[in-house]
Amino acid sequence: MTTLPVRPRSAKRALRRSLLGWAFLAPAVALIALFTITPFVQAILLSFQSWDGVSPDAPWVGLANYEFIAGDQTFWASMRNVLVFGAVGFVAGNGIALAMAVAVNAITRGRTFFRTVFYLPGVLSVVVVGLLFSSILAPGSGVLNRALELVGLGALQQNWLGDPDVALPAVAAVFVWFHWGFGFLLFLAGLQDVPKELYEAASLDGAGRWARFRSITWPHLAPVTSIVSLLTLLAALQIFGTVQVLTNGGPGYHTMVPTLAIYNEAFVNWRYGSAAAMSVVFGGALVLLSLLQLAFTGRRWHP
Amino acid sequence: MKAGKIGLYGLLTMAALTALLPLAWILSGSLQTLPELLSNERFLPADPQWGNYVTAWVDGDLGVYLRNSVLYTGTAVLGILVASSLAGYALARLEFAGKGLFTFVILAVMIIPAPAMFLAQYKLLVSLGLSNSPVGYVLILITSGVPMSTLIMRSFFVSQPRELEEAAAIEGAGPLRIFASVILPLARPGLAAVAVIQGLGAWNEYLMALVIFDDNALMPIQRGLTAFTSAETPQQQILLAATAISVVPVIVFYLMAQRHIVQGIGAGAIK
Repeated sequence: MTTLPVRPRSAKRALRRSLLGWAFLAPAVALIALFTITPFVQAILLSFQSWDGVSPDAPWVGLANYEFIAGDQTFWASMRNVLVFGAVGFVAGNGIALAMAVAVNAITRGRTFFRTVFYLPGVLSVVVVGLLFSSILAPGSGVLNRALELVGLGALQQNWLGDPDVALPAVAAVFVWFHWGFGFLLFLAGLQDVPKELYEAASLDGAGRWARFRSITWPHLAPVTSIVSLLTLLAALQIFGTVQVLTNGGPGYHTMVPTLAIYNEAFVNWRYGSAAAMSVVFGGALVLLSLLQLAFTGRRWHP
Repeated sequence: MKAGKIGLYGLLTMAALTALLPLAWILSGSLQTLPELLSNERFLPADPQWGNYVTAWVDGDLGVYLRNSVLYTGTAVLGILVASSLAGYALARLEFAGKGLFTFVILAVMIIPAPAMFLAQYKLLVSLGLSNSPVGYVLILITSGVPMSTLIMRSFFVSQPRELEEAAAIEGAGPLRIFASVILPLARPGLAAVAVIQGLGAWNEYLMALVIFDDNALMPIQRGLTAFTSAETPQQQILLAATAISVVPVIVFYLMAQRHIVQGIGAGAIK
């Protein structure tokens, strides 16, 4: 009968260990529960309510908000526009980031300099980027138009932010300028982890530059590529501040994006319920995208 | 081979100019007179107007906004460091029931995007009486930084040797004591990576600042800049000077803490 007294003691010890663990987690748990999980649930509830932003009452309205946004042209225009941002960010942003990472990895002198410069735009705020490019892309006296004239390309001058056909690509280009340094840093770190011996062996076998990239670099970069692609795509789809400062969604709805549409619906039109419905639809799409990507790449999170 | 090298450096230099020239424009434009800026003739100021900076500082109330930003960023980073180092340590070293659940929640929370949240976060702050309040804003900043920072700290602690903690435990030190006097001092590189990344993020945060603050005296710099633009409609060279002033702290910080930032970004995305 020597095992009996041990049992309650070990149960007690397990309890104490659990309490200790949760004590360490307490601040994080409290913050996340209160300021992330509660609002997440509230956002969903709010999408079935009507609220003007101030009154204590928010009556239930069933699916009225969803019916309202189903016919809302601004919102659907913003969803279409953001696909352009996503596509441009994904293709151009990741392409430039990868190309520049390969280029920097191939040189020896000046690596730190180029790395520092390439990420420099990435430390600016969305507001600064917006204000800066408002000035550069201004019609008439804007620096870009002036520079084009100076090098004899005056024919390419545009009303960059005011012309409905040009504004969306122009804002997307600003996003790429702002954001490609992020992918670049991650690609560069990934490249530096590829064992050098592999390249030496391949060179001895007579593999050319492109063959080495295809058979060594690209497979080794696969995990980095998948995470960079997702993060760039998510950043492009959530673009907000840059657009608000540059064009505020204009001209018309030509550069409207979902986050700005949600913001305007709530804080300009005072329709929080339909804004919440928009955020559920758009946020849900983003969550789905992340989950799909995680499932698709079979990426393992290691707790 | 030689030609290839030259081409490579040519390409890199072009990319570097593309990154740098727009920034150079902030400086050049902010030192011009308005007629100069509106004329199509030159890119550089004939006679640098340093007075533009004084006008921007005074008219834009930049001192107030910058002080607020320093305060919010500092408090947020401190809060993130405390919450994420405690949680990261528990995940790395302590064995307890519910650990897997917490890890799952952290990962799930990281997938929820800001556009799905900011509206309801605002509503929650209104109901807590924390809208238009620095406390509400900082709590949101801390919360949004905790999940990723916890994972960074966790992987940092996992990579550390256990011997010192075990020695301290044998000498009878309690868990909190071990954490504060043995673990944290050794965790400085991990804490630094978290601090620089979250510091940059908090300094540049705009969406929540826009939603939360009505009172100009409480706004951080990013929100202050857009308030300046819409309320005062400043002349372009003054606005560029204000932008330049807001950027200086970030660029100085970036150049100083560059190595940590590069490592932190890698750790945040990959870990």
